[in-house]
Amino acid sequence: MNFIRTVIIALPKGFYTTLKHLFKKPVTRKYPYERREMAPRYRGKHYLERYDDGTERCVCCGLCAASCPADAIYMEGGETDNGERFAKVYEINLLRCIFCGFCEEACPEEAIFLGHEYEFSDDNRDSFIYTKEQMLANRPKEKPFKRIIRKVRRIF
Amino acid sequence: MSSADDNKVTLTIDGREVTVPRGMTVLEAAKSIGIEIPTFCWHPKLKPVGACRMCYVEIEKMPKLAVSCATEAMPGMVVHTDSDLVKQGRRAVLEFILLNHPLDCPTCDKGGECDLQDLTFAHGIDDSQFDFNKYRFIRDKKSTFDDYRLGPEIIRNQNRCILCYKCVRSNKEVFGEYDLGAFQRGNITEIDTGPGQQVDSIYSGNLVEICPVGALTNTDWRYNIRVWKTQKVNSICQYCADGCNLTLWKDRQKIYRATSRRNDAIDEGWICNRGRYGYQIANAEGRLTVPLIKRGERQENATWDEAIELIARRFKEIKDKKGGVCIGGLAYPGLDSASLYAFSKLFRTILNSNNVDFRIDYKMLPEEPGDLYTQITSRKFSIAGIENSDVVLVIGSNLINEHPITNLRVRKVVTQKGAKLYTLNPFATKSGDISTDEIIYRAGTVEALINGLCVSIVEQKLASDTVDASKLATRVEPNTVAQAAKISGVEADRIVGLAQALGEAKHITLITGELLSTSITRDAITAAIMNLALLCGMAENGQIGFLSKYANSKGAEKLGVMPLLSDSLIAEMKTLWGGYPEQKGLGADRMILSAKKEEIDALFVMGSDPMLCYPDGQFVREGIEKLDFLVVADLFETRTTQMADVVLPLSSIAEMSGDFVNLEGTVQHFDQAIKPLGQSMPGYDICNKIASALKEPLFESVARMQPDIMRLLLREENPEIQRELREVKTSVEQASGEYTVPLFVVDQAHHFAHLTERSKSLSAFCSEAHLELSPSMAEKLHAETGTLIRVESEVGKVILPVIISEHIDNDVAVVTRNFSANPVNDLQMRKQRVDYVRLTRVEEK
Repeated sequence: MNFIRTVIIALPKGFYTTLKHLFKKPVTRKYPYERREMAPRYRGKHYLERYDDGTERCVCCGLCAASCPADAIYMEGGETDNGERFAKVYEINLLRCIFCGFCEEACPEEAIFLGHEYEFSDDNRDSFIYTKEQMLANRPKEKPFKRIIRKVRRIF
Repeated sequence: MSSADDNKVTLTIDGREVTVPRGMTVLEAAKSIGIEIPTFCWHPKLKPVGACRMCYVEIEKMPKLAVSCATEAMPGMVVHTDSDLVKQGRRAVLEFILLNHPLDCPTCDKGGECDLQDLTFAHGIDDSQFDFNKYRFIRDKKSTFDDYRLGPEIIRNQNRCILCYKCVRSNKEVFGEYDLGAFQRGNITEIDTGPGQQVDSIYSGNLVEICPVGALTNTDWRYNIRVWKTQKVNSICQYCADGCNLTLWKDRQKIYRATSRRNDAIDEGWICNRGRYGYQIANAEGRLTVPLIKRGERQENATWDEAIELIARRFKEIKDKKGGVCIGGLAYPGLDSASLYAFSKLFRTILNSNNVDFRIDYKMLPEEPGDLYTQITSRKFSIAGIENSDVVLVIGSNLINEHPITNLRVRKVVTQKGAKLYTLNPFATKSGDISTDEIIYRAGTVEALINGLCVSIVEQKLASDTVDASKLATRVEPNTVAQAAKISGVEADRIVGLAQALGEAKHITLITGELLSTSITRDAITAAIMNLALLCGMAENGQIGFLSKYANSKGAEKLGVMPLLSDSLIAEMKTLWGGYPEQKGLGADRMILSAKKEEIDALFVMGSDPMLCYPDGQFVREGIEKLDFLVVADLFETRTTQMADVVLPLSSIAEMSGDFVNLEGTVQHFDQAIKPLGQSMPGYDICNKIASALKEPLFESVARMQPDIMRLLLREENPEIQRELREVKTSVEQASGEYTVPLFVVDQAHHFAHLTERSKSLSAFCSEAHLELSPSMAEKLHAETGTLIRVESEVGKVILPVIISEHIDNDVAVVTRNFSANPVNDLQMRKQRVDYVRLTRVEEK
């Protein structure tokens, strides 16, 4: 009886499940070739925003660094040629960062955002010091019609 | 009611009764019992003005809210500081103040320590009833905000200004500067300089510190760091002997700024720009970080072990062959006490030599112990004590440059307490502008002038009873007012007038400065001054201040970093160390002379630059060239380190903790702010390493040595003033031949010793040596500001740009020293009392 229950009945039942999944859409992704669409509020790697004329929004006020619970942000201020304040050095230690998003929350200039990028593995610690240039380059490209909508919104 | 009660008033503040002296304001009365009233424009050291209206309080039976900073406390007043009406008033005031305020806190340097931020958070509302555009000051179309340079270091942003007028008021009331004012009115009022002026006084940094918002900022701190990221370290200013208390603001291994730490006994919360920006030398470029050893012609990097081994070997050779007398030591009196003590101990116990000195900028030091000048300088002096005086007499001192904060106290007693200031100088100085009489004597005749004063005091029968004045005429030369007037070139009635003022004064503060202490006739001048002091009764009612110059000059004196010490100090050292070298030591100038004669073979210079500072360039160059072995420890490469066989990197004051003794004799401790840069070491460690390599360590740890140091520093040596008039004969030198213009080598207001040249901010005020001339003298030479003039003396010549002075009005040449590019000490001669020069215009080709 035992033989009937475990082999004769269970085996075709198992094959049936396998057979059923052959015709279903797979849940796994072919990861390096295929990437997940993240939720809109997903907190990934940071990026720095620019003004429309290309100047950096960040004025190095230090509120992100002050609000950072992991003390991951280091910054040094400087003066531009026309006497305005800017961040000469802006570094985030991604190994310390806990991706809480407080920096984004604290920023009075809407300069820093946490983007959707989640891939940052490397084989040495130094490359996890995320510099300002990398952060500015990491800014996602806006689709043209979205930009127009944003500009129109700003006017009203 | 008794008379004591007449001076007191009793009032009720928030239900608490308080008794305060009459004349106190309601605000101060509230503060005295710990009730804080918010203010912007009130400052404890300034007169009330009531500009901001933030300090509103409700006083019963008064129709409206009253400004507590300008309302005098009256008997029976009932004050409420926290009623609903007061809260409403404060809200309204803040709303008005924020009317045009840009709220650019993220970019504003004051963010985090701003009174407006704090008080708005505490008392304001986050909304405004006004919806029109804010008024904007814009100078430059390119930028959205108005940043405008008022001076070399001060930047003004008028949009942020809340018009408390603290900057303008302190500038006028305390510093006596009139270069800043409020222009226009209403909401377009602007804080600005007069046309063509700029804010560059020695006190200008205080205006930034006093500003409650970010309207005045300085380039030093500008945009570098946020205040909450820094840590505060208690420090003491390392330049002049005033000993102002500082706070250093540091983060990691960098110091970002220095601000004052109010100490009412010394600085009252004001510091000069040297103290404020002078910290920059710690992080300046060009610091020495590794020891250097001269191999062949070049100095090459070496390790500490190599350097110490070489020093020990050479010192031992010389000591064994010729004895310790052939080794000399010069220490910079701006080093901490522990370093100076270790230096003295190294020489006296290990090297068995008495040749230690700190007085590098003195001409012709005494050769016998117990000279009058050294005795008198060890007497006590109090900066706060100046306030008791009704006459302040300044002799031979450009006080504002030498001791800026003592000068502020003199200003205070003169402008606020009605004392009289008399200055006796060979040329007019900026401090003299508030003096009752500014007496300009002919260079090198100050004893004659003081003798004249003494004679006049006796003639007017104003002399003190405690001294026998009848012998005066036989002891001094010249002994009539007319003769004195003739020699010194001062009108006789001015001498008589000053003598009368001195004779009638109840409490006199006498201040003398560098022009006397570095002079070769300092003993005769001191004797003349002591005669004057006795005749005026200054020993009982008054104080005599022979002000020492460097941050720790007084400490160096007390620790015995001098060749000739008093017997009591030698006895003290014998008990501390168990031994003391027998032979008489040599002073700084004699050491160089002996080096020139090849009697001294090795010299250890710690922290100073005799090649630039000793007042005879040629003499010191010849002396140092003849040395067999020269060891120099310093922060930077200097003229002296260039000639050294071994150069050791010294730590700056910010990199160690220790103490300074200021001109009053107060021992003040400072803390370590940052780690020693590179391989540099504090002076005491260097001395200890050398001592260990030679024989045995000087100390186990600095803390263990501290009791010995304190024993010497706290030793009271207040020698009795001899109650007898001294002999003072005047010898007058005349200018010879073609060199006729008397030369005075002084410090620039923004520079001190050989170090501050490295401070970026101080160099923004002044970065090169100048020749200061009176307008008439400049006219004679057809010179304008910036014209190059060749200054020639018998021994050297220097080409310097001219500054036409607002103060000087006689024919003298005043040059500023301590700039390595222009070694003006080349013009001076060691044996000459007054150096005379010839000025000619450099013709452009």
